[in-house]
Amino acid sequence: YFWRRMALTQISSNKCFGGLQKVFEHDSVELNCKMKFAIYLPPKAETEKCPALYWLSGLTCTEQNFISKSGYHQAASEHGLAVVAPDTSPRGCNIKGEDESWDFGTGAGFYVDTTEDPWKTNYRMYSYVMEELPQLINASFLVDPQRMSICGHSMGDHGVLICALKNPGNYKSVSAFAPICSPVLCPWGKRVFSGYLGTDQSKWKAYDATRLLKSYPGSQLDILIDQGKDDQFLLDGQLLPDNFIAACTEKKILIVFRLQEGYEHSYYFIATFITDHIRHHAKYLNA
Amino acid sequence: VEEESGQELGLDRSTPKDFHFYHMDLHDSEDRLQLFPEENTRMRKEVVQAEMANESRGAGDGKAQRDLQEEVDELVHLYGLEDDHELRDEFVDENMPRTGVSEYPPYVMKRRDPAREQRDWRPSGETAEAEDLGFGGWGSAGQCQDLREAYTYTHGRASEEYECYVIPEEEDEEEAADVFCVTCKTPIRAFQKVFDEHKEHEVIPLNEALESAKDEIHKNMYKLEKQIIQMENFANHLEEVFITVEENFGKQEQNFESHTLAQKYEEKIQALGEKKKEKLEALYGQLVSCGENLDTCKELMETIEEMCHEEKVDFIKDAVAMADRLGKFLKAKTDVEISAQPEFEDQTLDFSDVEQLMGSINTIPAPSAPVINPQAPNSATGSSVRVCWSLYSDDTVESYQLSYRPVQDSSPGKDQAAPSPPIIKTKEIRSCEEAVLICWESGNLNPVDSYTVELTQAESPEASGVTESVVGIPTCESLVQLQPGRSYIICVRALNMGGPSVRSEPATVHTIGSYFRLNKDTCHPWLIISEDGLTVVRSERRIPARELSSSDTRFTRCVAVMGNLIPVRGHHYWEVEVDEHLDYTVGVAFEDVTKQEDLGANCLSWCMRHTFASSRHRYEFLHNRTTPDIRITVPPKKIGILLDYENSKLSFFNVDLSQHLYTFSCQLHEFVHPCFSLETPGCLKVHNGISMPKHVTFY
Repeated sequence: YFWRRMALTQISSNKCFGGLQKVFEHDSVELNCKMKFAIYLPPKAETEKCPALYWLSGLTCTEQNFISKSGYHQAASEHGLAVVAPDTSPRGCNIKGEDESWDFGTGAGFYVDTTEDPWKTNYRMYSYVMEELPQLINASFLVDPQRMSICGHSMGDHGVLICALKNPGNYKSVSAFAPICSPVLCPWGKRVFSGYLGTDQSKWKAYDATRLLKSYPGSQLDILIDQGKDDQFLLDGQLLPDNFIAACTEKKILIVFRLQEGYEHSYYFIATFITDHIRHHAKYLNA
Repeated sequence: VEEESGQELGLDRSTPKDFHFYHMDLHDSEDRLQLFPEENTRMRKEVVQAEMANESRGAGDGKAQRDLQEEVDELVHLYGLEDDHELRDEFVDENMPRTGVSEYPPYVMKRRDPAREQRDWRPSGETAEAEDLGFGGWGSAGQCQDLREAYTYTHGRASEEYECYVIPEEEDEEEAADVFCVTCKTPIRAFQKVFDEHKEHEVIPLNEALESAKDEIHKNMYKLEKQIIQMENFANHLEEVFITVEENFGKQEQNFESHTLAQKYEEKIQALGEKKKEKLEALYGQLVSCGENLDTCKELMETIEEMCHEEKVDFIKDAVAMADRLGKFLKAKTDVEISAQPEFEDQTLDFSDVEQLMGSINTIPAPSAPVINPQAPNSATGSSVRVCWSLYSDDTVESYQLSYRPVQDSSPGKDQAAPSPPIIKTKEIRSCEEAVLICWESGNLNPVDSYTVELTQAESPEASGVTESVVGIPTCESLVQLQPGRSYIICVRALNMGGPSVRSEPATVHTIGSYFRLNKDTCHPWLIISEDGLTVVRSERRIPARELSSSDTRFTRCVAVMGNLIPVRGHHYWEVEVDEHLDYTVGVAFEDVTKQEDLGANCLSWCMRHTFASSRHRYEFLHNRTTPDIRITVPPKKIGILLDYENSKLSFFNVDLSQHLYTFSCQLHEFVHPCFSLETPGCLKVHNGISMPKHVTFY
């Protein structure tokens, strides 16, 4: 039943820095709808298996934003990394209320497996990103399933951190741009989690990076985090990195956290530092 | 042709009194043939023989005409004369495409009215063509056409139409002369014979006279025709030559174009142009006189034609005169030699001056004289000696010449002893992967002329071979280039007039990573440097804080020390072992960094500072007092520092965890040295000679 549904339809393909930026569509089992994702295959992918870097985008994004705006292709091509960028939520499910606001429902999957109606049939982004998508990618492309890293922006970073922390050893390296480090404590998280997970806050902790750290058994992680100092969401208390860093220090999780003067939350910020992040991942993926 | 005309003549003669000369209506002005230039006079075809002959000749020449016609067509095309516009009645040659051609006056004829019915010698098809072509301008095409038209005899009518002119003897016989006096060459009346002057003269019947006069005329006309044909051919030939001249000119032009420099091309083309002009002028001259000749021929023909209208007596008078004239004319030599050949000499251009110039460019400056090494011990046998020399790297050298001559056996008489060997300051050796900087003590009280550094690769088993030596070193230090990843043994010798010293004690150098020592001269008084120059300690005890005089070399405010890094651009990597609870600063600084300020407080230093306070680790990356906001969760115990001159970068790493911490972009216009400071008591240990770990290579 699962394997039957692995068919991919190519939507677009563009040559970029010697490799190919492609977009595919498929029927998702977890999400019960058609999902698109973008994948960049570096020139090296023609002849050998490449490691894969997964990018999780933030609120309101689709699979297009990262591949169009961040300018990551040159670094990915040079270091020979395949880069996978899924969409941020199920689409076209006709759930009442899904399009009412930009930070809840469509484009705001928050990388959780929802337990509440009417979301729970479709909104299972955690399983999609952790299981279904990697399996699909590994089966369909010349990527090395043993070498995966993960990286993201904002809500995507929240996804990154929880995926990494809930699955120690799954990823060789982690990096983040302006992550939401502690959803249970920030306005976004509170709203989203109550909608997706119900009011029982104990369920929320399973999806909170800072909380997860406390019980992290600790295989070595090397995390690079960039945060724009002028980021409005930082100032609004949506991101809350300090607790996370403090917790990492306690747990001896390797982090280099860089507060970048003058930068805010947008893709301009991502574009500035994406090369550093790709190099950070390449160091581990190509080792 | 002859037979035909004979036949015709015979036919004609069957009616003895008929003169079947003229087949044309002589009075029909429409049939006038055009002549050149500007005259609308015409040549009519009168004589039967002529016509017949012409016809047959026409047939024979038809082919030639046709060929000519084709050529003409070609030329029309070439000269772009198909355009009607050019074929207007004004035949001035304004728009001729070729320069030089327009200098020639239009040698043309008025265009024939195409409406005119005219039959040429040529088949009628060609006639129409010829008319349509009607060349207006200069060009051998026009020439040709004109010439052809000039001597074209028109067949205005079918032969039946031609009337034969019969001189009606009956009418005028009574009054007119009826005998011909051969002596006086004049017609007279019969009775005149009897009388006076004609008595003795020979007299023949007028008819006879007529006949013979006719014959004369015929013959001369025949000759004229022949001349006409000859001229025609000549004109054809001239035309061909014209074409060939142009063609050959074009070829030569191309020849030059493809082989030469623009200047020489221009010159030669000009000369060629001149030649072409000459040729064409000569040919033109000939053409003119050919035309004139033809003119005369035609005039003569015309006169003859007129003559034939006359009465018998007049005719005979004139016939005689004409015969004279014809005789003279035909005698005159017509020059049918082409005066100018169409071929151009093939020319080549003289490039010897260019070649000379090219040759002179290829000179390379002569190399500097090599320096011969002083003779090494054990390098000579009874019959051989090993000579080594070194070369300035700037020179291009193809080969060496070694020569020798025996000198006086006697020793130079200088009793000066060879110097003592120098002593290498091993502690001060600095190296990196590509070079070593050695310095030494002279080892001699007296001054020494120069030093020689000798290198041997430690891996090579042969003990004797000195791989390399650097000679003529004036001072007690030397920067020598080496290969990465090897080990070398280095010795130094001193030289003076007495010869070289023995080798110094050797020193070993490994070209792995970079080696340096901490520089005692820069050391703050509160710091102690270990014997090996790699550890710096700041003790609890402090020397009383008296005013420390400011110094250029020694740190006075900042408790710091600098290392002595080899001044070579490239990559340098070293590691520093630190204590987690230590406040320290590590990085690089220019040699002349202000010693009174903290490291990182100015723009002459870049460093990483660790401060441990309230159980929290704080890390700053300082340059010019500014630092980015960086948080590091795991404090490094060993810090790797990569100095990259090429990419202007300075990077810091957590060595144990292979973690990259931070990278400065720094403009390194001068050489920098590692610097270390201790803000709290403790020690820092420097590790050297380490090649870059893999994770570092990413940066």
